[in-house]
Amino acid sequence: MMKYLRLLLISFVIVVALPTKADIKFSGFGSIIAGKTLGTVDDPFNPGQKRDEILTADFYDVGQYDNDITFKAESIFALQAVVDLGDKLSATAQLVAKGVDDFEPEFDWYYLTYRATDSLTLMAGRRNIPMYYFSEYSEVGYAYPWMRPPSNLYWWQITQFNGVNAMYSFDSGDYSNTVTLFYGNEYSRDNTEMGYYEVLFGGESSTVVDEFWTDITGVNWNISGDIFDLRFVYFQHDMERTRHFIDTTSDQLNTSQKFYGFGGSIDLNPFTVLFDWNFVTRDDGLGTEYPTYLISLVYNIDDYQPYIAYSKADHERTKLKIDDLEEHYIMSYGVRYNFLPNASFKVQYDHFVDQGHEPSGWAYHGDSDTISLGVDFVF
Amino acid sequence: MLCLFKSVKRIVVLGLSIISLIVINQAFAEVAIVVHPSNSSSFDKATIKKIFLGKSKSFSNGRAAILLSATPKDPITEEFNKKVIGKSSNQVNAYWSKMIFTGKGTPPQEMASTSEIIAAISANPDAIGYMDASAATSAVKVVATF
Repeated sequence: MMKYLRLLLISFVIVVALPTKADIKFSGFGSIIAGKTLGTVDDPFNPGQKRDEILTADFYDVGQYDNDITFKAESIFALQAVVDLGDKLSATAQLVAKGVDDFEPEFDWYYLTYRATDSLTLMAGRRNIPMYYFSEYSEVGYAYPWMRPPSNLYWWQITQFNGVNAMYSFDSGDYSNTVTLFYGNEYSRDNTEMGYYEVLFGGESSTVVDEFWTDITGVNWNISGDIFDLRFVYFQHDMERTRHFIDTTSDQLNTSQKFYGFGGSIDLNPFTVLFDWNFVTRDDGLGTEYPTYLISLVYNIDDYQPYIAYSKADHERTKLKIDDLEEHYIMSYGVRYNFLPNASFKVQYDHFVDQGHEPSGWAYHGDSDTISLGVDFVF
Repeated sequence: MLCLFKSVKRIVVLGLSIISLIVINQAFAEVAIVVHPSNSSSFDKATIKKIFLGKSKSFSNGRAAILLSATPKDPITEEFNKKVIGKSSNQVNAYWSKMIFTGKGTPPQEMASTSEIIAAISANPDAIGYMDASAATSAVKVVATF
């Protein structure tokens, strides 16, 4: 279905765009980032043995750093085409090449935009789920001070969906508001992140995990003033996870989740405060909850932005009175240097502390110290 | 690698310290906000800021605004961003990169020179731009200076 939608939209764009020489705008963004972890750690799966420290910089794509310097964990190149199809209609496609996929380009985003009025915009197609404050542009490194939005918050195996968005903008006093209603589905077959966990926890590497998030339904309210930009989000979805084993048997988890979030940025010249607080509940009889938050302080001085960030993620089962399953925090220190109007250099040091429950295998990340540096650009 | 990081850190700290010690006093240019002479919409600082950030799509006369900007190299751009938008050019560029790649906005069209901005605005009743106040001619209407 997704393939057909994609083909249909792209053919549509080509058919409409080429003969009429429709107005087509190209732009793009990219990041070339190298990094490595700095030490070794006790291997949680092989007691008594050491392994390289590992930092998962990108959970969804399983982009990781170990002791060997790599450009592949986070480097990305994206090209966006926006085709103006007439007065109020446009089609957008993003061709994205990531190091984690050996830079094989894929159409990650493709959607139609209909600007019904000055204040109402409708979108249909494939986009990112507005889960966290930075979710919709988490890969556009140029758009935020850090090397990446703190990866231990952005740990979900689903980040995108096929669906519809309705965005309504209005003013309240001196404040600008945008309320977005969204609905969609995501059928992730052979999910990368879930497949990685299968192997990590001693499963068969041939186990294929299908992760389906359906009836993703929610609302996003963004309010901004002179010195602040805040965002509230609520959404819910049904979840069906099927594990297909090598012997053709399978098992299935059926549940639903609710996401709550409140985040934003506040400009207190010369400082910027960035924060995000999120809370996820899973309707699974165990009282599963995922509280996460981040707080960051950026100092803006000419072309330099030194910053610190603290991000904390937790996984609890409240009905079983278990509150230390997967749990970790990252303390990050870095600086961004804007050396060109459209490019910045960043260097960041991440101190990851795994506070997970070791006996039950939840402390699978292990502590790590990581250095990464690179360039983000837009064009 | 760690000692590289430490030396980078040292250089950065040193650099920041030096920069923070130097207070530069320069005579800055005055920024003029210009529109077509026929545009009789009302403009205050908050309105101008909202228009140039794409938060207000139309003038008070109800017509959709067409945004023009000078090049990033033109010093007036930094002046405009600091005085009117209240952010550094880098922060403004970061804001627009977020808007472009989430499909939520289109940045002002960059014009190569002040004379091109004047020509474009004098030819289009719905265009708005900014320039060094001393460069504005009678072909455009100055609605505010900062």
